[in-house]
Amino acid sequence: MEQGIIENLIKELSKLPGIGRKTAQRLAFFILSMPSEEAKSIANAILEVKEKARFCKNCFNITDEEICSICRNNSRDSSKVCVVEEPSNIIVIERSGVFNGLYHVLLGALSPIDGITPDRLKINELIERVRSDSVQEIIIATNPNTKGEMTAQYIREVLKPYNIKVTRIAYGLPIGGDIEFADEVTLGKALEGRREI
Amino acid sequence: MLTRTEGIVLKTLPYGEADLIVSYLTPDYGLLKTFAKSPRKIKSRFGSSLEPLTYSRISFWGKEHASLPRLTQSDILHSFYLLRERMDYFFKIIEIIELTLNFIQEMDANKKIFLLFLDTLRLIEEDYIYIKKSFNKEDAFNISRIGLLVNNYKVKFLKFSGFAPKIDSCGRCGNTGNNFYISQGSVLCESCVKESSVLVSGGLSMIRLSLPVIKFYNALMTWDTRKIIRIKPSMNLLEELSNVLNLHIKYIISKPLKTRT
Ligand SMILES: [Zn+2]
Ligand SMILES: [Zn+2]
Repeated sequence: MEQGIIENLIKELSKLPGIGRKTAQRLAFFILSMPSEEAKSIANAILEVKEKARFCKNCFNITDEEICSICRNNSRDSSKVCVVEEPSNIIVIERSGVFNGLYHVLLGALSPIDGITPDRLKINELIERVRSDSVQEIIIATNPNTKGEMTAQYIREVLKPYNIKVTRIAYGLPIGGDIEFADEVTLGKALEGRREI
Repeated sequence: MLTRTEGIVLKTLPYGEADLIVSYLTPDYGLLKTFAKSPRKIKSRFGSSLEPLTYSRISFWGKEHASLPRLTQSDILHSFYLLRERMDYFFKIIEIIELTLNFIQEMDANKKIFLLFLDTLRLIEEDYIYIKKSFNKEDAFNISRIGLLVNNYKVKFLKFSGFAPKIDSCGRCGNTGNNFYISQGSVLCESCVKESSVLVSGGLSMIRLSLPVIKFYNALMTWDTRKIIRIKPSMNLLEELSNVLNLHIKYIISKPLKTRT
């Protein structure tokens, strides 16, 4: 029976992305050896996220309040809104430290083949923000793949009547790589997006 | 076992953290679903080669009849990136991707359909390049041959996969007629409709076909694609045929796979 509970924990942990059976086993035995309080606080943090996390009413970021901390922050530039597919994208862009505007999460990308049509995304909510807020530039940072690109084009189309600046993040080569290993499409797009230095 | 073949990406589905399930149309294995490890990571060696419509030489590793084989390599033969450049073009092409995904099965090799698909992409691309060079960019879609090529694909695809509707004459007696009955997948003449009870079971949904659309359909059925692109059907004609084909396709898809005859 003792084997049963630890086996169960291993099974649960290995559901997490990037955690294989071996890692799950190591984590499980580590948790077993932890002080009770620490283990409880991990469990509580998981429960709290599940119970309290919700979407920001304004930008659809994940938050535990009605409006997320980014939207509430007065020192941020509310004239620029960066459009992303998922809340997790915000964390990555924030880490880059180069953007000080607000965000808008679409909660997905257009994919008619999978039944993801514009009404399934938070596009109307974006239009509403453009209408009512003092937004001057929309920066579309959807993924650099076909779904992301189609989503970007769609947004550009629906925002045309509002006469605001719509930009798309640049396509480029990943830093630290060798040009030799880039495929022709990536390289072609990087050439198209070249800039004077 | 490591296997090599060629394939065109029809669709990808995100899986787990950074993986993809990639569905290929191949000449040797029909629809081929493969598992690709980590292509969504920015520095993935798969690069852009798993984007829809990319035509590649691929290798995959898997045991026979095991679940998803693992994609180990994909070298782009032709990227068709231009066809993913514009939303209106790409959404039109999705019609032929969807049709193909709905009918082609795994391990169901059909070289003719593969070549038709590849040829259709090539011609749409040629047309797109020509129009982009010669005309105002914004108008490209309206004056392009994409509507014709998509219809051509649908008709020939249905023919090659054994689901072509019978439009040139009555499906029961061969007499002339121009009323197309969706549940029969066929035109029926008036006397056959009168004496037949088949319609009661399948419903009476019927479309009246114009003479030009019947002629147009026959041309698509019999002429080579390279000859087809020389004709210039009107928008109305394209729409009329599209409508019949889409209703026919929808009806077949609504039936369970095994009863689709
Ligand atoms: Zn917010
Ligand atoms: Zn008849």
